[in-house]
Amino acid sequence: MKLSGVHYLIEQGIENLWKNRMMSFASFCVLLVSLLLVGTSVLAYQNIASIVGGVESQNEIIIYMIDGTDAESLNQTGNQIRHLPNIADVRFYSKEEEYLALKERMAEYDVLFDALGDDNPLVDSFRVKVQDISQMSRTISQIQELDNILKINAPYEFVSFLTQLRTILTWVMCALIGAMVIVSMVIISNTTRTSVYSRREEIHIMKYVGATDAFIRFPFFIEGMITGFFAGCGALVITWLVYDALVKILENQVTLLNIIGIGSIIHFNAVYLYAAAAYLLGGALIGALGSVFSIRRYINV
Amino acid sequence: MVELNDVSVTYSSGVDALEHVSLKINDGDFAFVVGASGAGKSTLIKLLLKEIEATSGTVTVNGYQLNRLKKKKIPELRRTIGIVFQDFRLISSMTVYENIAFVLRVIDAPKKLIKKRVPYVMGLVGLQDKANSYPHELSGGEMQRVAIARALVNDPQLIIADEPTGNIDPELSYEIVDLLKTINRQGTTILMVTHEHDLVRRFGGRIISITAGQIDFDEIMEGTDI
Ligand SMILES: Nc1ncnc2c1ncn2[C@@H]1O[C@H](COP(=O)(O)OP(=O)(O)O)[C@@H](O)[C@H]1O
Ligand SMILES: [Mg+2]
Repeated sequence: MKLSGVHYLIEQGIENLWKNRMMSFASFCVLLVSLLLVGTSVLAYQNIASIVGGVESQNEIIIYMIDGTDAESLNQTGNQIRHLPNIADVRFYSKEEEYLALKERMAEYDVLFDALGDDNPLVDSFRVKVQDISQMSRTISQIQELDNILKINAPYEFVSFLTQLRTILTWVMCALIGAMVIVSMVIISNTTRTSVYSRREEIHIMKYVGATDAFIRFPFFIEGMITGFFAGCGALVITWLVYDALVKILENQVTLLNIIGIGSIIHFNAVYLYAAAAYLLGGALIGALGSVFSIRRYINV
Repeated sequence: MVELNDVSVTYSSGVDALEHVSLKINDGDFAFVVGASGAGKSTLIKLLLKEIEATSGTVTVNGYQLNRLKKKKIPELRRTIGIVFQDFRLISSMTVYENIAFVLRVIDAPKKLIKKRVPYVMGLVGLQDKANSYPHELSGGEMQRVAIARALVNDPQLIIADEPTGNIDPELSYEIVDLLKTINRQGTTILMVTHEHDLVRRFGGRIISITAGQIDFDEIMEGTDI
């Protein structure tokens, strides 16, 4: 195709956009709302996942060692744990340090500690954080194989609750996003169908005088793409403003932050590039496809 | 050139719209196709544009063997044919000039050609003064002349007119046929469908009559008015 041809088609697309501005505006609104729904859902999901992840990472396995195990064996066990798969962090707590810390924490009960005298009732322990808590029970059974272990404490029930929660959330989110993408495609192609219907004569004439299908589709493609692009811009700005405001409100809720962990809330600054790319590309693509999709009925003459 | 060889068309509804039709129209010919409503005239035209396929038999138009023509090549075929409809089918949001130039634009013709060719064909149909009018500002006869200019602008080998005078006052109908005759004298083949026997009798020439999907008459007749 000649350059003048491409130029003409882009011009046509923009002109049609203006001629059908009511329809274009309707498409714009539909796209804006669906992009916002999908975008906020994804952001909400990301945050919940991040919060669940934060809670997860605070869960540790405590391994109590048999009293009297010598330093070399302790060292060896520590190294063996470190070399197991799915281990994020291993920390050793000697019974002496723990006893001192305990005394300090419970200074008002010093009578009790005096009665114990030098007799340290605690044992040496390891505290282990795992990478993937859904694999925790496997990791625990691997640790159980090691020597000199007295007892293992692990938050089994809480862990399985979190794992289930995450799985359910992921599925709900995927279903929601899928449904919204389909619904918005259908609505957009129905909205553009009205404006395509008003131009069916034009399309028929084009077919009769020998315009190629690509040539007929191109202006519709451009029109849908521009509408979608602007809807993406709108969704981006709205998300940005609303999200930032929400984060500010949340960050003032100190008690809530203590539960979910300060680092768990995702700031828009951290994701704005992805959000912009997803909104603009997603908007342009859904807009263009919805528009082209709606002319297929008239193009087969 | 148009050639049909033992062509039948059966619609999916079971209607036999054309039955064993053989027909040859040479380059430069002018032919009337007449027949009652439902005889199969529009079906014949759809066949020539490859809007529908022959159920059996072969169709050749301007050197294209339509049975073998790939879907992708249909635009190429249609660029050799100009088409005029009974209901004009002008685009109401475009001026006369735009309606004609549109055809050249959508087949990606050079700008320079468009600038020269469009005023030229508007002159041929006598509408140079109406370049900036919109279709609703024109009479039926004028609208049909715009449609003829549009069919002509791409310099096609063949112009097909499906009842071009059907929506026009009888007095103006003669003008339209006159115009088509003039175009024909420049070398363009013309196939004009009509059920107005007056018109046919007056102009004469080759007359192809279709009845119930079959050609029952194909002769050259003397006109009463030449
Ligand atoms: N798309 C179609 N589907 C089924 N039958 C059709 C279709 N188009 C036309 N027909 C039938 O084919 C016959 C010929 O129609 P047509 O070619 O339109 O006749 P004409 O143009 O001479 O009036 C008629 O009986 C008509 O009802
Ligand atoms: Mg007809």
